[in-house]
Amino acid sequence: MVQVRNLKIRLSEQSDAKYLTKWLSDPEILRWFPMCNEAEIEDAVKIWMSYTKYKAVITAVCDNVPCGIANLYVQSLKKLSHQSLFAIIVAKEYRGAGVGTALIKELIRMGKEDFKLELLHLEVYEGNPAQRLYERLGFKEYGVHKKFLKDLDGRYYNKILMQKKL
Amino acid sequence: MMDKLDIRYTELKDFEYLLTWLNDPDNNKWFPFSTSQEIEESAKNWINFSRYKSSLTGVVDNKVCAIGTLFLMPYRKLIHHCMFYMIVDKKYRNHGIGSTMLKNLINLGQNYFKLESIFTEVFENSPMIPLLEKFKFNQFAKQENFIKIDDNHYLARILFDIWFK
Repeated sequence: MVQVRNLKIRLSEQSDAKYLTKWLSDPEILRWFPMCNEAEIEDAVKIWMSYTKYKAVITAVCDNVPCGIANLYVQSLKKLSHQSLFAIIVAKEYRGAGVGTALIKELIRMGKEDFKLELLHLEVYEGNPAQRLYERLGFKEYGVHKKFLKDLDGRYYNKILMQKKL
Repeated sequence: MMDKLDIRYTELKDFEYLLTWLNDPDNNKWFPFSTSQEIEESAKNWINFSRYKSSLTGVVDNKVCAIGTLFLMPYRKLIHHCMFYMIVDKKYRNHGIGSTMLKNLINLGQNYFKLESIFTEVFENSPMIPLLEKFKFNQFAKQENFIKIDDNHYLARILFDIWFK
């Protein structure tokens, strides 16, 4: 783990996409995501970064180097626009140093103030250590989608569904 | 009516029926899209799954009366299951068409696409719920306040799945 200095959160730029691709290409990180190859990662990164046009993607930077990215999948459908799913990723070497907490706290602030959200929700695969962070920040489980993910070795992972009222 | 029901693969031209049904407020209240633009975009996305032959259309006397669709997953780690949506024209309800459509959709998923499970999302009080219960679907999540009807009214989203093995 590197020492986190001068941690700042800013709106993401399209040029941050390469960091997202790099982090997701690490098998240790990718195991917690539904993608499994280069083409799928490219597709997911494209979708994730497309939310920059709504100013709904943020990047954590440490000494001017991106170390984490999070986004709100803000909803265009009117009946769903009061709530949003979010996703987050922190570079492996910056884990356990408060980057994830800082990113989620900023998403909560943006959700409330900029997007007038009332509800924030997430999906996390069983066994992912990030689940503890979500619980600490007040997210509550509302369901478990059993065997949602099946890795290439045939192992299943449950998907935990969590949400927080803002 | 049931003896006249024919089930075929959905064709792109069935779009006009789907669009008409989804624009009807009685149906629309059970779906997440609401404005005419949202409905049109969602119906287009829905009917496009007919290209993969993962969508079935019910026909009675040459009239389209129901559509049920498997929304196949885009990523390899997820292709063992998928979400489905179904709609029956309200003029044809309560004649067993929904049951027959669902039975055929399950058969399509299980035997043709070799899926291990299918799941769906409905909103609380949806008329789909008794049908899902009849087919022994399992409720695995209830997300309160998922849909906002107006400033004081919300509906929960309820998720159901069924496993074939």
